Amino acid sequence: MQLAATIRHTTYCFSSVKEVLAKANAPKSGDNLAQVAAQDAVERVAARAVLSQLTMQDLRENPVVPYEQDELTRMVEDSLDEQAFSAVKHLSVGQLREWLLDATTSGEMIRAVSPGLTPEMAAAVCKLMSNMDLMTAGRKCEVVVRANSTLGLPGRMSSRLQPNHPSDNVEGIIVSTREGLSYGCGDAVIGVNPATDTAESTAEILCVLDALMKKNGVPTQHCVLSHLLVQMRALDLGCPMDLMFQSLAGTQTGNTAFGISVALVDEAWAKMKEQGTTRGPNVMYFETGQGSELSSAAHHDADQVTLEARCYGFARRYEPFLVNTVVGFIGPEYLESGREITRAGLEDHFMGKLLGVPMGCDACFTYHADMSQDELESLKVLLGAAGCAFLMSMPVGDDIMLNYQSSSFHDIPSVRRLLASRPTPEFDAWLVEKGIMDGDAPGPRFGDPTVIVS
Amino acid sequence: MSSRTRQLIEVLRIKLGEARPLAQPAPARPVQAKARASSGPKGVPRVVTSHQRREAVERFAQEASKHTTALVGIGSVGTRYATDTVLQFQAELAVAHEAVGAVLPKGWAESKGLLPLKSRVSDHRQFLLRPDLGRRLDESSVALINEEVAKDVDVQPILADGLSAVACMGAGMELLEAFTRECQGRGLSVGTPLCAQFARVWLEDEIGELTRAKVAVILLGERPGLGTGDGLSAYLVYEPKVGKTDGDRNMMSNIHARGTPPEQAGKRLAVLVGAMLEQRRSGVDLDLSALSAELGEAAGLGYRAPQEREQLVEVSR
Amino acid sequence: MILEPILPRVLSVRRIPAAHAALLESYGADLSRHTSLGLVTCDQDDATYVALDEATKHSPVDVIYARSFYAGSDHASGRLSGEILGVIAGSDPEEVDEGLNALLRCLEHDACFYSADEKGEIAVFPHVISSLGHYLSKEAGLEVGDSMAYLVAPPMEFSIGVDAALKAAEVEAKKIFPPPTETNYAAAYLAGEQCACEAAAEAFAEAVVEVGRRPLTR
Repeated sequence: MQLAATIRHTTYCFSSVKEVLAKANAPKSGDNLAQVAAQDAVERVAARAVLSQLTMQDLRENPVVPYEQDELTRMVEDSLDEQAFSAVKHLSVGQLREWLLDATTSGEMIRAVSPGLTPEMAAAVCKLMSNMDLMTAGRKCEVVVRANSTLGLPGRMSSRLQPNHPSDNVEGIIVSTREGLSYGCGDAVIGVNPATDTAESTAEILCVLDALMKKNGVPTQHCVLSHLLVQMRALDLGCPMDLMFQSLAGTQTGNTAFGISVALVDEAWAKMKEQGTTRGPNVMYFETGQGSELSSAAHHDADQVTLEARCYGFARRYEPFLVNTVVGFIGPEYLESGREITRAGLEDHFMGKLLGVPMGCDACFTYHADMSQDELESLKVLLGAAGCAFLMSMPVGDDIMLNYQSSSFHDIPSVRRLLASRPTPEFDAWLVEKGIMDGDAPGPRFGDPTVIVS
Repeated sequence: MSSRTRQLIEVLRIKLGEARPLAQPAPARPVQAKARASSGPKGVPRVVTSHQRREAVERFAQEASKHTTALVGIGSVGTRYATDTVLQFQAELAVAHEAVGAVLPKGWAESKGLLPLKSRVSDHRQFLLRPDLGRRLDESSVALINEEVAKDVDVQPILADGLSAVACMGAGMELLEAFTRECQGRGLSVGTPLCAQFARVWLEDEIGELTRAKVAVILLGERPGLGTGDGLSAYLVYEPKVGKTDGDRNMMSNIHARGTPPEQAGKRLAVLVGAMLEQRRSGVDLDLSALSAELGEAAGLGYRAPQEREQLVEVSR
Repeated sequence: MILEPILPRVLSVRRIPAAHAALLESYGADLSRHTSLGLVTCDQDDATYVALDEATKHSPVDVIYARSFYAGSDHASGRLSGEILGVIAGSDPEEVDEGLNALLRCLEHDACFYSADEKGEIAVFPHVISSLGHYLSKEAGLEVGDSMAYLVAPPMEFSIGVDAALKAAEVEAKKIFPPPTETNYAAAYLAGEQCACEAAAEAFAEAVVEVGRRPLTR
């Protein structure tokens, strides 16, 4: 294993695979904050040159957090599909990049290899790819999942309807939901971030959403994004729950900060398979985002892209219905600008899809990040073109509870029209039936929330 | 264009003895060219197609506004926003960005009679990118505290910019004065009034440690939301010292005229300080059950209550 | 020189691409369909009614308003008022443009009054519409595509003329507007086969000229 490269007579030596991975990363303020980034652009290329020569075997043997120290590393290593791995173990990262981009490599072929890839491998190849590489390869990886509806089919882009309210006022949640449905949003999930993290309030919101969906025959899923333990208690209260949610981190210590472990998520998943209310089989919803490990000092000097890939390695264990990278929410100390947020969104989508999870993206920014509304709109189109399974949607893209800017009810039909994509087939038919859509064009009741009865 | 009536009249004229032919009409003159030149785009903005439906949507929006500040019932043009919506949105975005980008002017603290301190951050961009530096004082600030600031007080108040210098300069002094008055009214000793620039919440730990205050309270501009840049938050910690975590703190957000007014907030914060001194702790371990009536929202988790949306754009016609 | 065309003068023609709902409503628009307006004023009301109908045949517009002004164009409220305001409405400005173009063509080439005496002191409107649009067909209680003679003259001339017209051919009087009207002319809509309408219009014009020549001959 060679960890040095020479560029214009200067030789750059690296001490570990972890350092190579970090320094090969596209510039991110979070890697600077963690002090793991390359010193300059030339060192970055040197790291990429070294990385391109490393094999999948090298990467498997050098996880960024050692096997002995981290249960995620152990879980990934112990459950890796050896047969799938043997097909790629001698490939270098550079060769894997070319194999993924090769026109003769189909989505089916990638899907066959995927269970043999570790998160570090997905992150490594990501670092050698430009944005358009990420889109091209990301689009090939189809991940089709099913709960009440079927998500991830080619030519389809779904959306989470996010009707958050700063005091969990159910009437407020319902009006935003009705508005969103009337724009054709919400086919991935109607998912509420609660202000109060209690089982009772989680159950109350779920019951109200459930009634609205039943009354109007909306073919989608509901979810309240409280802590896993809170949702488990809510299930015991006897409330309906189509999807169970949890935020994930890419290290054991990061997950400890989130109050979860592999064992706990295993338990929750088993409970959900028994008590959840979707037809299934995919019943879990996870959220991730670059930088969360560093924010709880759980990054082990690894870069934020590699740690993000490890979240997907964790997520895929549970055959989730949705995985969402909340890409710009964390703030400028991790992703400073529109350029970094755009890059991160495309990286996360690609890595997640490559590792076999149905990847969506909350393309967003906080108001102290250096990203314009125009840049954010562009990112939504890029993600759509890359085959992103779903985007968020809320009134004018403004989350009145979490105070950040995401995609709007208007953006979803706009991106669909631009890219000739449609919602899930079940939801598509429902929209036409309600007069909200007329095929791929807005129908007579488009934008008319009164078409949804409360 | 041939005119049947014209042909008939032509015949009738001859019959009635008029020999000359009818004058030829002027050539056709289309309006199109001129009208196009000044015309707007094809397909005029129409928020909702039918009148009755538009009224229904307006009623929906009115009813919705009782429950949420989310912009709903706004209709669309094609799949996009109407122009008014775009302008309102851009104005709200501009307000937020202006608040984030503002920096306390040189001499502002002194002009308000506050002792100026600074974190280790050197400029605004670094402030956003290096929260670690915003949590520690620079050397000269440490020296200034050691030389000029009262020690061993019950409560050390710190006004700071945080993520909105606009909010700090707005209601900051009013909040600081109300809080100081309320604390003194309860017989507490209040430390030298300080103003910290490029400050993150945890900066109160080091300041409080240096002044040996029992409780440190930092009042700082909160991260702006769409259309709002004037909100202040307060974070309180008992026995401040470097290394305290978020679980050790109590907080109150949404302090501004449309949320909790500074006067009222000052009173509630003084009640919180009183509880901390009495129970000798802060954060998740602080028992506020006896004080919920007095504290109102400050007793809760500190979520930001819904704010009225202001109409920001008015075009004079 | 008799039966010389008196060409209508279009005094103003304007378009409002996105009219305010209040204005739309005041002119009787259907807010679910109508967004854009086309407005025209002209010094001949009857020619304009015909031209407005013509507009409905060339564009999916509706004539939502058309009224003659009291005392006619010689006593107008302003230099642009003339004796009629016509308003067509469509769902977008292009529909309205097409309608206005058809309307102007009709006023320039087809519908007009004619002088019924040498001095030009009597005017007659002996107009034949071979195929009605949906505006005048509704006004007359006829079907779209029917033929109609649209006959106008001053009170005395009209009375003699319309009597002659009704007797000259197989036509039915769908509507007669006896004097006084806003402009103090009188008018009639006569329906029948196109050739019958033509014969009626011809008889009408001839009678009007005849009355002008011999007003006092019983």
